[in-house]
Amino acid sequence: MAFDKMELREVEVWDGNYAAAHAMRQAQIDVVAAYPITPSTPIVESYAQFLADGYIEGEFVMVESEHAAMSGCIGAAAAGGRVATATSSQGLALMSETLYQASGMRLPIVLNLVNRALASPLNVNGDHSDMYMIRDSGWIQFDAFCPQETYDLNLMAFKVAEDHDIRLPAIVNQDGFMTSHTAQGVHTLNDDVAYGFVGEYKPMNDMLDFEHPVTHGVQTEEDWHFEHKARQHSDLMTKVMPKIQEVFADFEKLTGRKYNPVEKYDMDDADVCVVCMGSSVETAREVATEMRTKGIKAGVVGLRVVRPLPFFEIAEALKGVKAIAALDRSSPNGAAGMLFNEIAGALFNTDTKALLSGYVYGLGGRDLTKAHLVALYNELQANADAGKVTTQLQQFIGVRGPKLAFL
Amino acid sequence: MMAKKGWDEFEIGAMLRTFNGKIENIAATQQQDRDYSENSSYTASVADWRLIKPIFNKDYCIDCQFCWVYCPDVSIISRDKKLIGVDMDHCKGCGICVEVCPTNPKSLLMFPEQADEESEIANWPKKDEKEA
Amino acid sequence: MSEVKNIKNLKEFSTSADRFEGANLLCPGCAHSIIVREVLNATNDDLVLAASTGCLEVCTAVYPYTSWDASWIHIGFENSSTAIAGAETMHKALKKKGRLKQPDRNPKFISFAGDGASYDIGFQWISGCMERGHNMMHIVLDNEVYANTGGQRSSSTPIGSSATTAPAGKISYGEKRNKKDMMAIMAAHGIPYAAQVSPNKWKDMVKKIQHGMAVEGPVFINAVSPCTTEWKFDPKDTMNIADLATDSLVFPLYEIIDGRELNITYRPKNVVPVEEYLAAQGRFKHLFKDEYKYLIKEWQDRVDEKWAYLQRREEARI
Repeated sequence: MAFDKMELREVEVWDGNYAAAHAMRQAQIDVVAAYPITPSTPIVESYAQFLADGYIEGEFVMVESEHAAMSGCIGAAAAGGRVATATSSQGLALMSETLYQASGMRLPIVLNLVNRALASPLNVNGDHSDMYMIRDSGWIQFDAFCPQETYDLNLMAFKVAEDHDIRLPAIVNQDGFMTSHTAQGVHTLNDDVAYGFVGEYKPMNDMLDFEHPVTHGVQTEEDWHFEHKARQHSDLMTKVMPKIQEVFADFEKLTGRKYNPVEKYDMDDADVCVVCMGSSVETAREVATEMRTKGIKAGVVGLRVVRPLPFFEIAEALKGVKAIAALDRSSPNGAAGMLFNEIAGALFNTDTKALLSGYVYGLGGRDLTKAHLVALYNELQANADAGKVTTQLQQFIGVRGPKLAFL
Repeated sequence: MMAKKGWDEFEIGAMLRTFNGKIENIAATQQQDRDYSENSSYTASVADWRLIKPIFNKDYCIDCQFCWVYCPDVSIISRDKKLIGVDMDHCKGCGICVEVCPTNPKSLLMFPEQADEESEIANWPKKDEKEA
Repeated sequence: MSEVKNIKNLKEFSTSADRFEGANLLCPGCAHSIIVREVLNATNDDLVLAASTGCLEVCTAVYPYTSWDASWIHIGFENSSTAIAGAETMHKALKKKGRLKQPDRNPKFISFAGDGASYDIGFQWISGCMERGHNMMHIVLDNEVYANTGGQRSSSTPIGSSATTAPAGKISYGEKRNKKDMMAIMAAHGIPYAAQVSPNKWKDMVKKIQHGMAVEGPVFINAVSPCTTEWKFDPKDTMNIADLATDSLVFPLYEIIDGRELNITYRPKNVVPVEEYLAAQGRFKHLFKDEYKYLIKEWQDRVDEKWAYLQRREEARI
């Protein structure tokens, strides 16, 4: 081996970016092609430092734009090896064309997406606008709520994406700054154990097999295009979630850390609950526990897997609840929020009598405070008590000026 | 064949393979010795694009290979430095081979698609004395 | 080190086993495929190829057919260079890690793109690839127009040419700008090799491609590709037009080594007036009206000036 292993403590104090960089190092990626952008930059900086210090054997290319980063990743992945990169916000927007191409060509690239707002106005802080923007791009999307999960989900993402029954690229989301730059205790795996879990890359349809030349990226018009899109969707709908469950189970066996497509907190007897993503899940859990001391049976549902959407698992998690809040950290710009719509879709055609209201919060890194969540749970309880939504269906939380609500 | 397949029968990613099985040394394997898959355009035909077609008269050919190198459609078949003929499945009838043919008279001439090869060769033009 | 294929003459060249197939959908008489064949047949080494969106791509990989006998990838309009750079990087990584399936091969990594995909939309990607030193070759199939989408002007479209987005009309002679000097820009990256080629000069082409494949590092090739459809000439005349392009010196054939040393590789015995080159193509037809004839004179002056410049550069050896 032409690279050094790193000795890690059982628990390291890492922020989300550093945790992701270590997971990438341990996965022994063959090619990383990347371009720096706040707040994901420390991932590629750390990776570059690992390389400079002799801990990485693979190739690392700093290209001239995010579009080129994903283009290089696609070329490298089609050539036949393990590939990953990282980006945020405008970077993701610039590479968005190629995201569809990567998934359409069924190339298992892992992308660390450190969630950040989209301009204009320009903003470097965390919200989920970038995650939402590419939700139909055909990538598997995981969501980490804290640095530990960033580390764990990175290792698991390779295993899911690269499986020959799956062969789809995967995104690991984490909140810009709130997760990416907040250092917490992270339980580590030793380098060999981590690599053993991810496993060796097994090539498929690889361009570098000169005895079996392949053509990637063909043109299909109205006579063929639909079938290929149908195939990709079908695999996302039927094959990916069972594979994710299997990998989550393997990971639990290895580490004791249990992951679920829908993370339920105090949901067994909950009357009211919030559904959210990212670091807000942890805040909501803390507030839910406090609400219980005040007699409100509060719960939290965190979405661990954004795509493929755990449709029935969402309905199952919410089945006994009286009032639900969907928290969207992205401006829907003329509609109800994505989570609001997804939850509504999952609950429609079920026996639920739950009341659903939507909240838009935290744009551009605006804090979601405990006080906001206390008020929100009280509002949900009022809805439950009244047997109807007592507010407008969509409210903005934490924005200056007069109360902003729609629908 | 492909048209009868359903969405679940294609290779993922719309990936195409040129050959059935493996090919060991492609640069040393001429087309007739390759096992092309149904997805190689080698197995397709563009003969119906043609309104005019080249006819090759080997009596005048000097095997200079200008027509081979300048054929856009890999349709001039040369083996062992000799011109054998024209691949009429792949020829689109552009006429470049006739333009670049240096012999007098030319060894390749364009004729209507319906022309009969044998009779056209029998009536091949004579040497152009002015040009010579 | 791979062996350079021995091609002394056209008869030897004709023993090549083509790795590009007919029954593609390119126009009859298209120069793209002539160039591609000359490039691919210049080596016996394995090939990994990419193409940008454009005529070559949409005509050679339309499902369920491929015209490529070597591994080939298309991603988008702007990024064939970076796609092949990614593949080349993976090859380097797997070689280092001992995971290549056929470790004894010496593959060549080549991206093809039109002038639109190279001079315009893919400019930044190519510049990045050239600057980073990938061991690859980017080849422009330069037909001076967005031919695939019906003839819109690109920054390679020469002055006076009528393009659909810069048409000649009652008060316009068509494109108003001179063609971008891509060779100079690419050479300025300090790359080991940049060359301009033309399919009619197959031997010059093969020599340059072989040189480009032999050097370590990025190589840029600009290939003039006469377009029967957009330049408006009879399909049979593709090579005649290419002859006019090189012999009028509108497309001088030269190479630039390490960004400095310039060699002219073809000196026509009889230089043809630019007017003959223009007259052979429908896209310049309007220039022969009285009011625009001054443009033909300007064309000739520009070509003479460029030729003088190239000769001075060559003599200066700097």
